[in-house]
Amino acid sequence: MTAQVTATEATATAPLLEVAGVDVTLGHGWRATQVLAGVDLDIWPGEIVGLVGETGSGKTTLARTIVGLIRPRKGRIVFAGTEVSGLRRGARRRERRSGHVQLVFQDPLRSLDPDLTVAEIVGEGLAIRGEDARQVANQVADALTKVGLDATLLDRTPGQISGGQRQRVSIARALAAGPRLLLCDEPVSALDASNRNYILRLLRELRDTLSLPIVIISHDLSSLAGIADRVVVLYRGRIVEDGPVSQVFSEPRHPYTALLMASAPSVGGSSGSSGSSAGQALTVRQLRRTAADPPPPDGDTACVFAARCPFAIDAPDACASQPSLEPVGDRWTTACHRHTEWRDLAAHRPSP
Amino acid sequence: MRRRTARPSVLRLPSARIAVAILALILFLAIFGSALAPQNPLAIDAGALYKGPSLHHLLGTDYLGRDVLSRLMAGTRLSVLTAVEAVGIGLVIGAPLGVATVFLGRWFDFTANRVADALMTLPSIFFAVAVTAALGNGLVQAMLPVGILLIPGFFRVTRAATLEFGRAQYVEAAELLGGSKLYVIRAHVLRKVLPTIAVTTAMSAAGALLAVSFLTFLGIGVQPPAPTWGGVLSSDLDYLNLAPWAPFIPGALIAITVGALNALADAYRDRAGAGTGALLSPVADPVIKTHSTLQALEAADDRQTAA
Amino acid sequence: MTGKPPHDEVLALEDLHVTVHDGAATAVRGASLSVAAGEIVGLVGESGSGKTLTCRAALGVLPKGCAVGRGTISFERQDVTDLPRRDWERLHGTGMGAVFQDPASYLNPNLTVGSQLAEVLRVKQRLSRRQAHRTSVELLAAVGLHRPDRVFHQIPAELSGGMLQRVMIAIAISCGPRLLIADEATTALDVTIQAEIIELLRDLRDQRGLAVLFVSHDLAVIRELCDRVVVFYAGEVVESGPVGEIIERPRHPYTQALLRVASVGDFQRRELQVIPGQPPRVGADIAGCRFAARCPAAIEACRSRAVSLAPLSPVHQARCVRVTDPELSAAASPGAAELAAR
Repeated sequence: MTAQVTATEATATAPLLEVAGVDVTLGHGWRATQVLAGVDLDIWPGEIVGLVGETGSGKTTLARTIVGLIRPRKGRIVFAGTEVSGLRRGARRRERRSGHVQLVFQDPLRSLDPDLTVAEIVGEGLAIRGEDARQVANQVADALTKVGLDATLLDRTPGQISGGQRQRVSIARALAAGPRLLLCDEPVSALDASNRNYILRLLRELRDTLSLPIVIISHDLSSLAGIADRVVVLYRGRIVEDGPVSQVFSEPRHPYTALLMASAPSVGGSSGSSGSSAGQALTVRQLRRTAADPPPPDGDTACVFAARCPFAIDAPDACASQPSLEPVGDRWTTACHRHTEWRDLAAHRPSP
Repeated sequence: MRRRTARPSVLRLPSARIAVAILALILFLAIFGSALAPQNPLAIDAGALYKGPSLHHLLGTDYLGRDVLSRLMAGTRLSVLTAVEAVGIGLVIGAPLGVATVFLGRWFDFTANRVADALMTLPSIFFAVAVTAALGNGLVQAMLPVGILLIPGFFRVTRAATLEFGRAQYVEAAELLGGSKLYVIRAHVLRKVLPTIAVTTAMSAAGALLAVSFLTFLGIGVQPPAPTWGGVLSSDLDYLNLAPWAPFIPGALIAITVGALNALADAYRDRAGAGTGALLSPVADPVIKTHSTLQALEAADDRQTAA
Repeated sequence: MTGKPPHDEVLALEDLHVTVHDGAATAVRGASLSVAAGEIVGLVGESGSGKTLTCRAALGVLPKGCAVGRGTISFERQDVTDLPRRDWERLHGTGMGAVFQDPASYLNPNLTVGSQLAEVLRVKQRLSRRQAHRTSVELLAAVGLHRPDRVFHQIPAELSGGMLQRVMIAIAISCGPRLLIADEATTALDVTIQAEIIELLRDLRDQRGLAVLFVSHDLAVIRELCDRVVVFYAGEVVESGPVGEIIERPRHPYTQALLRVASVGDFQRRELQVIPGQPPRVGADIAGCRFAARCPAAIEACRSRAVSLAPLSPVHQARCVRVTDPELSAAASPGAAELAAR
């Protein structure tokens, strides 16, 4: 982190974005499923937060709820002191036109209109605001420069540029609106390693030069290693761990986080390891439930990870009830009843 | 905002050029047909019933000895007007509703669909009889029910096309930038839906032209002796045993006009489709990068950097 | 690459050239590789490097406009390069099986996965309906699906991506092939599921002695799974050898670049490396080394003449003049120290 960012953080007294007790249910009637439950998340100015979860964890839903595409059934979203989750129609449009919170969609192929040119796409937010053409052209050129794209692309349509360039156009569109918070939904999942690192570096630069807090949503924990300050792990609609990246990566406090890390393939050192502190690397086999483990607690009130957790105990004061986020360190919380014990248990499990 | 790279013109295809020429001719006849007709379209000549083509009567005569060519030329205006009125009603009411229904919520959509269902169950001929009985028997009044019966077709087709594009992610992105529903329709959806509307219009014009003949059969709408294409066609069908070649002439005229409309609509749809749907279809092999569209531009880039 | 092929060699590509756009350009130039029974060989490269075309050639399913220009493809030491379509169809499933990236697009969304698996068995092995059902359930269990009897009756929409990929693997191995080609099979999966599928492929190799050709752009996954690795760049093989050696001592600058870039998977690293520039257009004609434009260690000699694949050891080869020619590696240029260090 640069000194500039630390200074911003130090002076911030209130988070820029507050997600408080959000429940989201999608679908109607008997097909309704709860996708998010009791999500509490604060984003502070100048930080890069990695939001990690598998498919179905609700991470995209959370992003869409924050920007207002989905209305939460319970809870509120507050941006810079204004409650945005309750806004409707005109007020919501006005808030969106201000461009404060921008979302970069996952698939640029689907989120860019194939009939428009790059210039029209990037300038759309400004055109909606009614700015005059010259202003728009200037801001568009500016945004393209920020993402490292050439002016020759202005007249091209999305079909005429490469995948990596499309992703950057998508980011440029968000930047041109002058955001104070940027949400990127899986910005690099479809790219190869080199392009991925390029985009991540770009995002970090944007945070450094614009003091722009960025939330990067990803299913791959390892892609956040070089860039995020903080990592938030989502499992089936609930946050299970939230803490500074260097600490979480050296010793995750939730077994699911450890499983994610152990599953990630790596080129360096021994793979399938989690938490390389003091040679206590845990393997995937040690973190996975086997038939030999006691049956997990059942029912809606049990811990959301219990069915997959090898350390779950069926006791009402333990894993049979959903744990809440407890502090385990400096700005570090985790939702696990056994967060002090499971590591030792895992280390003693057989590993090939 | 710079102009985008030029899209190939609609008139690029020879079929489109021919279609435009034909339609221009029809339009010309609609305005000047009566004046230019070689003979009086209403002049009855009892001695020359159902004669074949001759120097005097280039397309022959009908069952009352009237010159077919003159009747068709003079009848162009009425035919065109009736088709425009009927298709116009269907288009102006059906298409915008079809687009709007995707954006106005579930209840509106439900209601609109049920109304369309109801309209589609109306028996067309009885409906036409009922309306002309109520409003008086005239061409304008007769095309009103035809137009109304075209509305559900426009509505359904436009709605289906809009659904495809109205929930797209770029529409969501535009909404997130603060765009109103009207803006989204104008900037993103309309241009993608127009080709479908064009094709539906061409097809409905065919139906409208033929509807006149049906109604004339029943004495609804046009009162003889005023000529219309469909009217000539229907009277020819009455005398098929006397002159089997006769219906082909007005039939061919209707077919050519409808064909031209369809060709123009197809050319417009194909030109528009070149940019639109192609990217959204499931990519068969994303990893094989051998597309030629990129190559031309990359070559241009290479030349530029080399220069 | 010299002497008699090993007894249990299942797939061998010898100097394979693949042309695209009806012969207008050569996308794969002189690729040679082999896979023996019980061996997992990884093919790594960026998109557009020609690795997918190579796979498709090996399977006999090149898309329209693409053709094998030169070279031979051998399956179980029989030349199959010019095999007629009917003979290829006989090989598919029974000799070689394949798994691709997006399992959902290879399954009929309206039929149960079990019926689609059984269909393969009934068509290819002429099993009766009941036998096919029984064998299908066994196969679904063999690929690690819980309650295979239940999964049999589910449609693709009811199954997750990982489960669908297991179904595809079941279909691929259903008729007992000796070769399994996996083209970006784990790329679209979550990291935990990816780890499970990698384990599955390893188990299948151990249990059935399968030869596996695993294609990916992700070097980390290849390192996890493969015994040997072949590195593709711009249609050519630029390095190949045992995976441990390639990872520890990569000799080609492109492989070194790939490793630098992929090292982020190591959770403690914070530098994000990129490979500057873009790969050349598919089939572009380039004099000299095809990586020279992006290579930090390129010198004049690299651009003047075409570079051939040279052996560094009996099992390790690289296509780089600076590595194989001791005179040239002493040449002064940026990256000289780097090359020497490796």
